[in-house]
Amino acid sequence: MSSAYVPGLEGIIASQTAISMVDGANGRLVYQGYVIADLAERMSFEEVAFLLWKGRLPTKAELEGLSLELAGHRTLTQAANIALDALPTDTDPMDVLRSVVSVQGVEHRLAKPAIPLAIHATASFPTILAMFHRRQLGLEPIPPRRDLGHAANYLYMLNGKESSPEIVQALNTYLVLLADHGMNASTFAARVIASTESDLISALVGAIGALKGPAHGGAPAAVIEQLELIGTADKAEQWMRDARKRKVKFMGFGHRIYRVYDPRAKILKEMCRRMNPKFYALATRVEEVALQILHEEHPERPQSTNVEFYSAGVLQAIGLPREFFTPTFAVSRVAGWSAHVLEQAANNRIIRPQSEYIGPEPRKPVPLAERG
Amino acid sequence: MAEFSPGLEGVVAAETAVSEVDGANGRLIYRGGYLIEDLVPVATFEEVAYLLWHGELPTEKELDALRRQMAGARKLNTPARGTLMALDTATDPMDILRTVVSAQGASRALTKPTLDEAIALTAGFPTIVGAAYRRRQGKDLVEPRDDLGHAANLLWMMEGKEPDPERAHWVDTYLVLLADHGLNASTFAARVVASTGSDLTSCVVGAIAALKGPAHGGATFAARSMLDKIGSADNAEKWLTEAHARHERFSGFGHRVYRTYDPRAKILREMAKTAAPDLYRTAARTEEVALRILHEAHPERPNATNVDFWASVVLTGAGIPKELFTTLFATSRVSGWTAHVLESLADLRIIRPASRWMGPQPGKKPMQLAKR
Repeated sequence: MSSAYVPGLEGIIASQTAISMVDGANGRLVYQGYVIADLAERMSFEEVAFLLWKGRLPTKAELEGLSLELAGHRTLTQAANIALDALPTDTDPMDVLRSVVSVQGVEHRLAKPAIPLAIHATASFPTILAMFHRRQLGLEPIPPRRDLGHAANYLYMLNGKESSPEIVQALNTYLVLLADHGMNASTFAARVIASTESDLISALVGAIGALKGPAHGGAPAAVIEQLELIGTADKAEQWMRDARKRKVKFMGFGHRIYRVYDPRAKILKEMCRRMNPKFYALATRVEEVALQILHEEHPERPQSTNVEFYSAGVLQAIGLPREFFTPTFAVSRVAGWSAHVLEQAANNRIIRPQSEYIGPEPRKPVPLAERG
Repeated sequence: MAEFSPGLEGVVAAETAVSEVDGANGRLIYRGGYLIEDLVPVATFEEVAYLLWHGELPTEKELDALRRQMAGARKLNTPARGTLMALDTATDPMDILRTVVSAQGASRALTKPTLDEAIALTAGFPTIVGAAYRRRQGKDLVEPRDDLGHAANLLWMMEGKEPDPERAHWVDTYLVLLADHGLNASTFAARVVASTGSDLTSCVVGAIAALKGPAHGGATFAARSMLDKIGSADNAEKWLTEAHARHERFSGFGHRVYRTYDPRAKILREMAKTAAPDLYRTAARTEEVALRILHEAHPERPNATNVDFWASVVLTGAGIPKELFTTLFATSRVSGWTAHVLESLADLRIIRPASRWMGPQPGKKPMQLAKR
């Protein structure tokens, strides 16, 4: 029996999961039973990754074990190093990530997805991005530091020096907030790939490709660009009303699920207030105007500031170049992707939906010589 | 909310005019309304690719232009070549394909998928497959030949000598037969990636990643491996009976869609008689015994020889080693993947299904690390 076509599979249940739940009606994001607000500023990214993979928070000994395992897998394979150097320095870092993760994984061939492989993949993402960034700047690569946590080491490898505890904490919170989010498009892509019994790296490479799209992870840099065009808070209303007449989309607004304020955006907004006051002053005014205009146009739609809007301000305050915003989203989400692949592999059925044929009725082809 | 259908079985996830699998009547219809068995006698792979992309078969002039465009796009660019050479020669050819396609498409900025890109991507697959094969053999790479058709050039790139026309014809027919097949898992993966607004390379890389799985593209290899184990027609009865007693799956049998004989398997079965007479005898006896055993075990299930079973025999006859089977599948299906992505652009909507929460009740409070 086939059901009616629902564009975008909206509302269609594609998987059963215990990893995360997006409770849009109540504005809650839940990881394995924990509400995100209870995790965000208290847990390290490593603890949350453990939670997503194993379903519970680690003990102190388990966390130390995981941290060591991550730290021990931060260097790239020789093939990955060569492949990284083969890409031009002006390549989109998302394409670098997609390609080098693909190389980094070849030694695992068709290995069944497992937690150690998830740990190794997660450990490699910051290294790939940081090494590429150093190459872009014409600087020597910085070897990873085993004594630093995941967020601190990423910043250290990017900048060649340790960041302040406040900056490290901010990046850590960002990584915790973005680590999983239900059956979003990149996670779903990873599960579709895993459902053919393909390997973990293949699933991750597909997910990176999906995250790259502007309708998914590709938007935070565009938020900054739009704010720069607007310039100052006092110009926001006029710029935005003019923009709307030209059908310009407001960046950082709109999502399918939340009926109330996205709980992650709430936390990121508060972080922007503390860390990036210039951004905050402009962004809050732009948000106010955007919501006003959007409400005038579609009063029936819910409030819609999305996570990318204030992510942009936090990532900017951390000092990341804007072309590294989406790749840094991947640094976080790889934890969720791999958790979903493990869950899919544990109880698998190939994901092979139906399509509805809208082409012509069967007819006979004309041989080449008679066409034309 | 809708019921959960594992694997999205029976759920319509897209409207398409690219192809239709009419399982009840054993028909595969390609874009334009042509039945696969009507196309095989009159159309080469290039004509079928044109059909999938444009919706109509090309005239002689149009075909000529396409062939020239493809011939001009067969070479790898510098990053792709550098990436290829970074990989160990023993790397899984599907991992090579995934990685080198990713590097070949690495770009500075995100672009919307175009037909020219689809053509260039399709043209490049035989180059990568041929290079992977020659490197495995410890041989120097050969340059593509722009005077050969797609199938003949593939064999040239593998072997470094011009293939006889009959073998090129078998490969070409295989490529025609496998070019599209409704919303299979890899095509669906490509459409999920495309739905975020991502680029064509990301879509194709995700599709390669999905095709790699043994439950999808890896099945041709498995079918050939089973035939190798059976060894001869005389041994089929004994081997299959014992394998069945061990609850082993018969590779090359079973599919979700067809209720009658797969029309592609029918054509390949006929070709196998001349392409690989010895292996044909073993395969024909294997099929007879396997269908009998499966029918005895599950009389309610339909006849189930799938395309992978007979494809493995024809590809063997064409001189393709089984390690390359899945990459040959990809070489064909990339035309369908790209046609689906281009089609989806007309009404792009992010594919973001729902999931059913199976985890603990939300709201439990995380315990401090020291107390765990």
